[in-house]
Amino acid sequence: MSDPGTAGDGRGQKALGSAALVRLVAGREISTRLRDKNFIISSIVIIVILIGVMVFQVVVGAGEDEGRVGVVGDASALGPAIEAQGEAAGVDVTIVGFDDDAAARQAVEDGDVDGALVGGTGGAPQLLVDDRDPTTEAVVTGAVAAVALADRLAEAGVDVSGLPQVSVTSLAGGDDDSQQIVVAIIGVGLLYGLLILFGQFVAQGVVEEKSSRVVELLLATMRPWQLLAGKIAGLGVLGLAQIVVIGIVGVVGALAFDVVDVPGDLIGTVVSVVLWFVLGYAFYASVFAVAASLVSRQEDLGSVLTPTTLVLVAGFFVGIQAATDPDSTLATATSFVPGLSPLVMPVRQAAGEAAAWEVALAVVLMLVAVALVVRLGGRVYAGALLRTSGRTKLREALRAERA
Amino acid sequence: MLEFDGLYKSYGDNRVLEGVGFAVAAGSMFGFCGANGAGKTTTMRIALGLARADAGEVRWRGVPLDAAIRRRIGYMPEERGLYPKMRVGEQLTYFARLHGLDAAAAARAAEHWAERLGLGARRKDAVEKLSLGNQQRVQLAAALVSRPEVLILDEPFSGLDPVGVDSLAEALLEQCRDGVPVVFSSHQLDLVERLCDSVGILARGRIVASGTVEELRRREAGRLLRVVVPDAPQGWAASVPGVRVVSQQAGDTLLELAAGTDDQVVLAAGLRTGRVTHFAWREPTLVELFREAVADPAPSVDPAEVAA
Repeated sequence: MSDPGTAGDGRGQKALGSAALVRLVAGREISTRLRDKNFIISSIVIIVILIGVMVFQVVVGAGEDEGRVGVVGDASALGPAIEAQGEAAGVDVTIVGFDDDAAARQAVEDGDVDGALVGGTGGAPQLLVDDRDPTTEAVVTGAVAAVALADRLAEAGVDVSGLPQVSVTSLAGGDDDSQQIVVAIIGVGLLYGLLILFGQFVAQGVVEEKSSRVVELLLATMRPWQLLAGKIAGLGVLGLAQIVVIGIVGVVGALAFDVVDVPGDLIGTVVSVVLWFVLGYAFYASVFAVAASLVSRQEDLGSVLTPTTLVLVAGFFVGIQAATDPDSTLATATSFVPGLSPLVMPVRQAAGEAAAWEVALAVVLMLVAVALVVRLGGRVYAGALLRTSGRTKLREALRAERA
Repeated sequence: MLEFDGLYKSYGDNRVLEGVGFAVAAGSMFGFCGANGAGKTTTMRIALGLARADAGEVRWRGVPLDAAIRRRIGYMPEERGLYPKMRVGEQLTYFARLHGLDAAAAARAAEHWAERLGLGARRKDAVEKLSLGNQQRVQLAAALVSRPEVLILDEPFSGLDPVGVDSLAEALLEQCRDGVPVVFSSHQLDLVERLCDSVGILARGRIVASGTVEELRRREAGRLLRVVVPDAPQGWAASVPGVRVVSQQAGDTLLELAAGTDDQVVLAAGLRTGRVTHFAWREPTLVELFREAVADPAPSVDPAEVAA
């Protein structure tokens, strides 16, 4: 009989280091998830939603910021004036010339133009519109007034070229942060969603191993921390891959659809969100795993995860609030609190309100918290894993490590 | 030699093990018996590193077990456990790899054992889709797939139909022939009697009896003699020196002989009453040995219990 696995070194076995075990566990997590239809579908849905949001932005933006105004007769003076007024009002106006009133009237009724100016710079100019639209009215009225004023002044021999011009200086440092803040809000939303999603994956995986009792076989070959590390690392790689893909799709999409002005700032914000995901995931995945190890059935999972989930929800809302008021006391304080910082600090960073030392301090505090959770949580996890009857109390688990 | 040496373990005030010790020779099968809650599972868990002994140690080839040696133990926990949604073949490969086989060897071993245990056609099925009997086979395959040097199985026969019992027994005997020491616990004492080279009976946190089934029998059996004398009057043997009548129903007599009493004297006494149709030292079954061993310690054996 040919025995598989007996060739070569006798039994085909080698010593397994911690790294190898952690890799094996992580590999199983990844391959299991990649074959899980729910996971694939949820990943695709997130990306589709993201692309959808951008397309929506472009379409809605296009609808709002474009106008067509008809001018009867000579449009050489009025045309540019209307376009200039339009630009000031944030509307991209296209001028359509008409030969007579009837044609203009017809075009307005057909909806070909938003409005048509009849009578030009004469004594009684008239704007024909289908539905009254304040923007179009203001743009046309302003243009007519400006052209008429210039004409009168020219007739009176006044030179208007020497009029003072207003130059604009931004006190916010010359940068408009609003786009970055929007990106940060989307990023925090994503971060929140992915932290919850992958935290749940970790928790469900832990309970699955406990409820199916397979954990006893696993722990006969490895230490609890190796199992914990492998599980968190495997799902973490998937989560990171997902947020990076989303980030790339977002940046590429935003550039392709011309949604943002400053690609460099956009990419900076996306990178900081991704980095905060890594820290946040390490923290929440560990807490979720440890909490999950206290129960033996999926049904009991909700009750042990709720406290941590609430912290996440709180972080999410503070993060959103921080977007509107990034230098508020609340935002500043919470951006240092481990657990909340991953959801608040990216917003403050995007708003340009966080100094480098503040970010560094928040990162260090978060790293310390992760180290504590892993260390303490590892003990709870080890103590609770083999207690498959009902719910284990935190204190018991701490005392009972490998009892 | 796999040695369990002086294991002590208590959970709080509950002293589960109080000096459990026994040894299993390579290539032999050891049946581990004991009432529910006697500490069999705890003993096995200590060997696998799933529980920590308060004192004592388990040695394989003279070396206390560590993580590396434990990786060469095949284990089947009492609470069966597999990933329900994972495919049979992948699951076996995974466990083989956790035990240190490289990817290729693990895949080969998984295929081999699935085939051997009649799961070849189900390799691509999720475990949860299998019948309980087949899940049990996967569990056994998971214990054997890493080519273990030692097998420790907690109640491996529970829940199996007679055919399943036979095929599991065959697989275990084959492991024994390959030189693997096999320790298994079971309540099915007839099975233990049939399969095991030696037996250990655990009660009150200690091994109260251990050895080959033969040895255990001899220890107990030396004292009881069954003589069937159809024509004898009641109390025919009472006058023979060194003999105590345990029971007599018609001519069917159970006698306890004091040490040094010649059984031939008893035979002669029997013949004097007429025909002797049965004369033999009584061989207690393992069930009787077990009952006696786990019974609360009493200064003398309750004969009624033994005769039952």
